[in-house]
Amino acid sequence: MSKLDQTATIPASFSERHAGRIRQMRLYGHMFRGSFSSMLGLTLVGIFLILAAVGPWIVPFPEDTLGAVHMGSRLLPPSTEHWFGTDEMGADIFSRVIVGARTSLWIGIVITGLGALIGVPLGIIAGYKGGFVRACIMRLTELFLAVPGLALALAIVASLGPGLTNCMVALAIVWWPGYVRLVEAKTLAVKEELFVESARSIGAKTPWILWHHILPNCMSPIIVKMSMDMGMAILAAAGLGFIGLGAPPPAPEWGAMVSVARSYMPDWWWYSFFPGAAIFLTVLGFNLLGDGLRDILDPRSRAR
Amino acid sequence: MLSFTLRKLLTVAGTMLGIAVLTFVITNIAPGDPARLVAGPNATEDMVDTIRVEYGLDRPMIEQFGIYMKDLITGDFGTSIVTTRPVLDELLRYAPATIELVVVAMILGVALGVPLGMLSAVYKDGPIDHVTRILSISGVALPAFWFGILMQLYFSVDLGWLPVSGRLPLVTRPPDMVTGSLLLDALIAGNLETFRTALSHIILPAVVLSFPCLASILRVNRSEMIEVLQSDYITAARAHGISAGRIIAVYSLKNALLPTLAMIGLRFGWMLGSTVLVETVFDWPGIGLYAVSSALASDFKPVIGVTLLIGFLFIIANTLVDLAYAWIDPRLRRA
Amino acid sequence: MNSTLLDINAYSLGIGTFDGPIHVLKDINITVKRGETLGIVGESGSGKTVLVRSVMGIGPSNSRVQAGHITFDGQDITRMNDKGWAKIRGIRISMIFQDPMTYLNPLFSIGRQISDVIAAHERAAGQGISSKAMRRSRTQELLEQVGLPAPAQLFDQYPHQLSGGMRQRVLIAMALAGKPDLLIADEPTTALDVTVQAQVLDLIKSLVKKLNLTVIMISHDIGAIATVASKCAVMYKGEIVEQGDTAAVLSNPQHDYTRQLLAAVPDIEVTPARLLAKQAVQDVIPAPQKLLEAVNLRKVYKTQAGGEFAAVDNISLSVNVGEIFGVVGESGSGKSTLARMLLRLIEPTSGDIFFEGQDISRLRGEPLRQIRQHMQFVFQNPHSALNGRHTIGDAIGEPLRIQTTMSRRDIDVRTEALLDIVQLPKSFRYRYPHELSGGQKQRVCIARAIALNPRLLILDEPTSALDISVQAQVLNFLQQVRKELNLTYVFISHDLAVIRQICDRTIVMKRGKIVEQGDTEQIFLHPAEEYTRALIESGRVTSRAARLRA
Repeated sequence: MSKLDQTATIPASFSERHAGRIRQMRLYGHMFRGSFSSMLGLTLVGIFLILAAVGPWIVPFPEDTLGAVHMGSRLLPPSTEHWFGTDEMGADIFSRVIVGARTSLWIGIVITGLGALIGVPLGIIAGYKGGFVRACIMRLTELFLAVPGLALALAIVASLGPGLTNCMVALAIVWWPGYVRLVEAKTLAVKEELFVESARSIGAKTPWILWHHILPNCMSPIIVKMSMDMGMAILAAAGLGFIGLGAPPPAPEWGAMVSVARSYMPDWWWYSFFPGAAIFLTVLGFNLLGDGLRDILDPRSRAR
Repeated sequence: MLSFTLRKLLTVAGTMLGIAVLTFVITNIAPGDPARLVAGPNATEDMVDTIRVEYGLDRPMIEQFGIYMKDLITGDFGTSIVTTRPVLDELLRYAPATIELVVVAMILGVALGVPLGMLSAVYKDGPIDHVTRILSISGVALPAFWFGILMQLYFSVDLGWLPVSGRLPLVTRPPDMVTGSLLLDALIAGNLETFRTALSHIILPAVVLSFPCLASILRVNRSEMIEVLQSDYITAARAHGISAGRIIAVYSLKNALLPTLAMIGLRFGWMLGSTVLVETVFDWPGIGLYAVSSALASDFKPVIGVTLLIGFLFIIANTLVDLAYAWIDPRLRRA
Repeated sequence: MNSTLLDINAYSLGIGTFDGPIHVLKDINITVKRGETLGIVGESGSGKTVLVRSVMGIGPSNSRVQAGHITFDGQDITRMNDKGWAKIRGIRISMIFQDPMTYLNPLFSIGRQISDVIAAHERAAGQGISSKAMRRSRTQELLEQVGLPAPAQLFDQYPHQLSGGMRQRVLIAMALAGKPDLLIADEPTTALDVTVQAQVLDLIKSLVKKLNLTVIMISHDIGAIATVASKCAVMYKGEIVEQGDTAAVLSNPQHDYTRQLLAAVPDIEVTPARLLAKQAVQDVIPAPQKLLEAVNLRKVYKTQAGGEFAAVDNISLSVNVGEIFGVVGESGSGKSTLARMLLRLIEPTSGDIFFEGQDISRLRGEPLRQIRQHMQFVFQNPHSALNGRHTIGDAIGEPLRIQTTMSRRDIDVRTEALLDIVQLPKSFRYRYPHELSGGQKQRVCIARAIALNPRLLILDEPTSALDISVQAQVLNFLQQVRKELNLTYVFISHDLAVIRQICDRTIVMKRGKIVEQGDTEQIFLHPAEEYTRALIESGRVTSRAARLRA
């Protein structure tokens, strides 16, 4: 080390101090832009978010989303006036699909958020504490995972009664174990790193270690999973809506729309096609985005 | 080996007990009075009270649980309100159709997913890889019910190749029941015409059900293959002169199969859950359709019965996966 | 017989990265004749592994040959296709790898893996594949040749059932299965224990003689090179800086880097300077005062099979104020477990620990946290001991934030002072660990450890993950810090040369027990145990090789 270095004053500018971070971000950006599928995912998610934000103000027939009935224009095929056609009440399907984005976004955020909020702390505690605490948490988790999610959610909704809120509650109940399992496995790995032992050796308390050392190192897979789960939660809720246990008509919920449309098959195909396509593109967008994030944030665990 | 089997059996029993507790909790999470729920909205106070006593809902929770467990162990799953038949009888009647559907879909998924995953790993970043990547990501994102409707529209309505729904047309006499699977029973009876009809009915639902499963098996197999192909022992095998074909087909595949097996187990459960959607679309007379129609009619006992049965089937599948794991991986094969 | 087998001519290789291409190999010229043994010495990152992998056609996937060519037995193999390699790789050129665990496929039996190599060789020779039974007997022959007992049983065993040394022998057997013209050994002993290292080196040496092999061996260990290789090349930053007869290069190094490298190897034969200094002031030193004491310390783990395994078995020791206390032993001897127990990072199964006379073995919660201010740990692997998501400043400031009520500004000032003490520039505060070299990271770890002005430092092989030249710097620096801050060290190492140079008293551990203890110089000059003698002898090999010119 030269003497010059030691006496050098601290670099003042933000970009100098955070040179490492900035370079890392640039590398991430470079990798993300280089992947067509990641950019496609980002675009789809972007469109979805914009529609969810401004949907009710830009649709051509806002009153149709609230259950307006136009008996004169029932089941019209797609045209310049009704881009996606009309349904059995004469409502504009295009308007209803766009406003449905808001419902779906809400569903995705609530289910994923609740799942992570319950699952992540439990997973970290189970992984770090080990022993009896871990055994209890993991047994409970495995129990929930022992019944396939959709079947369990169906049973819960059947017990609570149909409705959008009950659907979200049911799906959140079956969603958190996935986070416990992911975070527990990651915590077990991070716990073995020397820096955790090092923090213990300087007298750090458990909450400090969990917050400063374990959680930041578990963040990448959590972000990836949350991005993917936004899509999967929307898909699952649409499934319950399709069965007829979700939002009651005339609420503009995509799954429920496909469900009603099924009785108008095959002659009025557009009725079920467009809401279904909206589900597909949204879920695809979140999956592609999550996949792209995984490639740059968490390249080691691409399998799951 | 005996102790291994014994341990597995104990785990299965423990998990079943856990699921029983879980279903009991679910039955009782509904806010409000369960007796009133059963009696319906127009019931008088007297009727509700009668039902409460009749269903044992006036007794303490722990006693109710005891009765519930006793009933389950003796095979009493309650009675369906809609059909007034014992739930167990109906489950046994519907289960073979679902198991047949899921098994056929799983065979489809594995038979296509594993080789495709291998190919795209070997020709990474080539044209095959791009196609399978699109296939795998869109496969997971496809809403099964919507995909099913599109398939019906195209293959049944437009092309008229395959029947729209059902398991067998009403006019066809089903073969004598041996295994419960129409395909197998038709073959056993030597009735090829019935076999062909049954096959044409199962193709669409099986394809729809297997598509997401195929997609994720493909993905796991691909990324595991890529990882294994970069591992030290494969480098060593190459350095020792083992041919490229042998490295891929024997050495890497076996290592990559382990995580793929785990995914197969996981997806088996997912398929069992998804039958509620696919069976609804295709009017497939299985437990999924039974659960959905019961749930819509607020007929609660059948839903719980189906949940228990699906949980049980999933546990069996996972146990089989565990055994396969131990068979492949010598490190797990101790005493 | 003395024809040229391998000729590398003006070979340059680049690897493409996000920051543009990196030149990993620059203008390499090497010639190996039949029957020769060539050793390539270099530190990590010198490009030696990339070089030998290029010879086998298994170099990094994104690399590009920029100039020159490699000729094997008259055939240009620089840009050969897979079909051409099928006749050479593993058949005429074979390789032994560094870490025997990861280079054996865990799902296949030993016998299966070796007989597959035999079959591949037979196929390449176009002679038709021999029967399973014949391959089996040939495999057992090979296993016997590399000195493995009971080859018939070994045939059906799996890699995880063998020890590290046995696995390395299996890998050697695999490499020999194809009767190769050229054998490449990539750090074949690095991942092994000291005493096993000597055996494996002897095995390679005897095989070279018996089978008249041509060998290229790469290693960072000059002793290993001197044992096996008759010729030697020194690599530094992708270039060969010096090559020639091993004895000539070592006894009369021409290049500056070679000289530095040789000088950095600790000399096991020299009486430590500290003893000479101490003798002069002997009378002034007061009676030793105990700082840390352990009584009948035990740690028992349950094995998978249900039995018990004592990692540390009834160990008692006492460390005096101001001394450097050495703990020597091979991996698995329990020395790391012992060190962690002394700090209560691992709970002892039984026994007591006293720090400054206070029994700390039953402390919990706040009192334990308090006591940890006074005793700190420096870990073996600095790459993993720093959290990759924290800046260096955060890492050094962390103990202050946890243990003191200092303000943010005071902590920053203190952090900079600490960086100064460990001789790193203040601007490093804002860097992340991955931007630092191994030696720099270890300095950061030391700064972190001394942040709270502890009285005792436990150093768990603090230099073994570092290159030799860096190792010497860090050792010097550690002694300097100790003097300045009045510290007591417990120094754990497998390297007796280092122990002799710096430790006052030492214990030798084997399988959880102390086999020998006392004054370091005494142990060194008059080892009572065979085990200690073997450890010292293995240290001598390297030390002697580095000091040929003296």
